[in-house]
Amino acid sequence: MEDVQVVAMLVRRCLAGDAAAWEEIVQNYNRRIYNICYRFAGSSDDAEDLTQEVFIKMYRTLSSYDHTKGAFVTWVTTITRNLLVDHFRKTKQDRMTDSMDSVASQHDDAQPLSEQIQDQSAPPDASVRSREVSETVHAALGKLSPELREAVILRDLQDMDYREIASVLRVPEGTVKSRINRGRAELARLLQRTYRQVM
Amino acid sequence: MPEHTSNGMQCHEFDALLADALDGVLRGVQLERFQSHARSCRACGPLLAEAEAGRNWLKGLTEVEPPASLVASILASTTGVDTQRLRVPARAVQPRGSWFEHAQAAMSGVLEPVWATVRQPRFAMSFGMAFFALSVGLTVAGIKPADLAHINLRPSAIRHTYFNTEARVVRYYENIRVVYEVESLARQVKRNVQPAEPGPAKQKDRKNDTTQQPEQKQERNYSQSDSNTYLANAPMGSSVEGLGNDLPVVSVTTYRRFA
Repeated sequence: MEDVQVVAMLVRRCLAGDAAAWEEIVQNYNRRIYNICYRFAGSSDDAEDLTQEVFIKMYRTLSSYDHTKGAFVTWVTTITRNLLVDHFRKTKQDRMTDSMDSVASQHDDAQPLSEQIQDQSAPPDASVRSREVSETVHAALGKLSPELREAVILRDLQDMDYREIASVLRVPEGTVKSRINRGRAELARLLQRTYRQVM
Repeated sequence: MPEHTSNGMQCHEFDALLADALDGVLRGVQLERFQSHARSCRACGPLLAEAEAGRNWLKGLTEVEPPASLVASILASTTGVDTQRLRVPARAVQPRGSWFEHAQAAMSGVLEPVWATVRQPRFAMSFGMAFFALSVGLTVAGIKPADLAHINLRPSAIRHTYFNTEARVVRYYENIRVVYEVESLARQVKRNVQPAEPGPAKQKDRKNDTTQQPEQKQERNYSQSDSNTYLANAPMGSSVEGLGNDLPVVSVTTYRRFA
């Protein structure tokens, strides 16, 4: 995605006060950061706010970036991930992996998640169907525990390699792979239960 | 994951190779051992299938488009330069317009924020309520919009209207039944209180008063101390000379009547 020398030059220009260089960085990375935030936080409003916070933090700490220690994208993703963890702690969204059949409410007559998600009507066309599938997968992703969720987002949605993910998450590569495997399997189990009831 | 050895591979080893297997980087003997373990292990076989299915679900998710205003917001919140560079080209392509268009553009810059505020539901509701209250008030007061055209605004007419209105208000106030009753009650109380108020000098005057007003006579007649003896059928003129003879005597005692 990035040429190390080009990015290093861009950062140097930015530190020298070149507003155009900073705007170029924002243009290049806002989409990636927004997507990570959106998939992790679950809502577009939160994702927008978090993306802004990430860039504010980047702008303040840009001088701490050292291109010899790692790629700029890894540095950016690390900042994003740290802010997401902070946000998660602040909002107390302890969304541990739970079963689709577990009842969220204390009431006995409350519906399980699988019944809330399922669509009663037939989809009008393929695009609508595709959008519904995406929304269902996105909702299921939000039900994963934060550790599993961040691992599968970075691997399967951001195409980062295991070494980069290990650097961002500050865990060994073996742990990264294990989390990715468990995250994928748990997601599949959640979705299989959902679609078994819908079909 | 329960530890299980199958075809020379343990489950934890299978778990470590699972991600690489799904990435398609396993080759040769290692791949054969992995596949063989997956086929024979009751825990790892389903795990492989689920992990593969989960990866396929995630690969189906497409990137979402960030909001159009996101870059501008980020730049405004970081450098503070806002989106001047983004706005300059937009200004440059604007054709030159007439003075009316310029004035309209200048006014829209001022009026748009105000209009945006006014359009908010809470303000609209407030204005609606104010209009409703005003119209109800005018209707109750008997003021019609058509009457406003006939209003005479000369100073003398205004004074005349003022005094007329004042008199009407006073009349209305005094004709209220409750007010009338309260006032009459106050007058009555005042009248009852007044006789006790005069000082001893006035009573002295009354004793010496020879005018003999009817109410004063009555008061004296009903005095408790009065115990006079009257002679029945006795002529007034000879009452003194006949006293002590055969005439019948009627004794009358009068008592003060207290209201």
